[in-house]
Amino acid sequence: MTNDDERIPDSIRTAAADYNAPPELNRADLDAMWAAIEVEAFDGMRPDIGRAPAPRSRGMLSAANLMPLAAVLVLGVAIGRFSLPRTADVAPQVMASVDSARNSTIEGPYQSTASRYLGQATALLAALPMEASAGSASEPYKGRAHDLLLTTRLLLDSPAAADPRFRTLLEDLELVLAQVVRLQSAESSAELELIRQALEQRDVLPRLRTAVANISADD
Amino acid sequence: MTSPAVAVEAKRFVNREPELIARVVAGDRQAARELYDAHAPRVFRLAFRLTGDNELAQELTQETFIRAFAQLGRFRGESALSTWLHRVTVSVVSNAMRKVKRFRAREADLEEASLITTDTRVTDPDLRDQLYRAIDELPEIYRVTFVMHDVEGYTHDEIANVLGIAEGTCKSRLSVARHQLRQKLGAFAKEWME
Repeated sequence: MTNDDERIPDSIRTAAADYNAPPELNRADLDAMWAAIEVEAFDGMRPDIGRAPAPRSRGMLSAANLMPLAAVLVLGVAIGRFSLPRTADVAPQVMASVDSARNSTIEGPYQSTASRYLGQATALLAALPMEASAGSASEPYKGRAHDLLLTTRLLLDSPAAADPRFRTLLEDLELVLAQVVRLQSAESSAELELIRQALEQRDVLPRLRTAVANISADD
Repeated sequence: MTSPAVAVEAKRFVNREPELIARVVAGDRQAARELYDAHAPRVFRLAFRLTGDNELAQELTQETFIRAFAQLGRFRGESALSTWLHRVTVSVVSNAMRKVKRFRAREADLEEASLITTDTRVTDPDLRDQLYRAIDELPEIYRVTFVMHDVEGYTHDEIANVLGIAEGTCKSRLSVARHQLRQKLGAFAKEWME
C-alpha cells in the first residue's frame, strides 16, 4: 500500500487542519514556562547541566542550612500549622494569595529566592494532574513537595515574609504542600483528584504562573 | 510565507546553535534561554496538536526542555537541533498521553453509562467531531504520523528523523492512518445518509 492509495478528500483535509488547533503563545506564557524550566534544569533539581551529578536538593543541604531548617521546623510544629482545612477551602485561599502576589514587592536577595521558589511550586502543581491520573502521588513527587515545604518555612521565617501579601501566599502554599506531603497511598488517588479539581476549577495554576512571571520580571 | 529577512535571521541563528549548545552544556542560562525562545513555540505547537490541552501542552513543553537541556551533552549534531527537540517532544507527549488516555477512558466509561439511551446520530451529526474522534482513536503511532504530516505539515523525511524510523515506514503509517480514518468516517457518512 502506498501513500497515494489513501488520499483524503480536501474537505477532510481542511477539517483536519483545525484538529487541536493550538493557541498563540504570548510572552507571559513563554516566561512562565521558562521560569519553571530554569528552576528544574539549572537550580539543583536536575544536576546534569554544567556540573557533576549530585543528589537532589534535599540531600544537598549543608550543615549551615540545616540549622535554620531545623529551627523553622520546630517552630512550625510548635505553632500547630498542621491544623489543615479541607481541600475545597484551600484552593480559594491560594487563588486569592496568588492574585495578591502579582504586586509583591520583595526586595534584595530574597527576590531571586522567591522567584525560584514560586517556579518550583508552579512546576510541582503543574505536575499534579499527571500524578492524579496515575492514581497516586509518587515518592519523588512527594519528595519535591517536602523540599518545597521546607523552603516555604524558611521563607516564612525570613525578611521576605515581611511583605504581608507574600506571607499570605507562603502560608497558603504551605497548606497545600503539607497536604501533598501527608498523602497516604491508600487515599492518595481520591485526595489528589480533589486537590487537582479544586486548583483547576479556580484557575490557580495560570495565576501562579503569572505571579512567577511578574516576580521574575522584577529581578 | 516566510520573508527573506526572517529566513536570513533564522539561518544566522541556526549557525549559532552549536555555540549556544556548548554554552548550555557548560551551564549558561542565557544561551539556554536563547535556544528556548527560538524553539519553544514550535515545540508547544506540536505538543498541543498531540494533546489538545493548553495546560498539558505547556507542562509537556516544559518537560521537553528540561529533559533536552539535561541530555544536550549527548546531542551530536547528526540531525538539526529542531528535529532532535521534536523527537524529545514526541517521546514526552507519548508517555504522558498513555496516562491521560487511561484516565480519560475511565471518565468516558462513566459518561457512556449515564447516556446509554442517547442516539448519537441525532445528537452528534457533525463530521468534524467524528473526524476528531476518529483521529483521537487512532493507535498512537498512526495518530502521531497523521497529525505531523496532514495537520502540521511535516515532510516524511522530517517525521522519519523525529520518530527515528525509515521514511518508507513513515509513509506506510500515514497510509494506514488515512485508511482507518476513511473507514470510520465512511461508515458514519453512510449511516447518516440512510
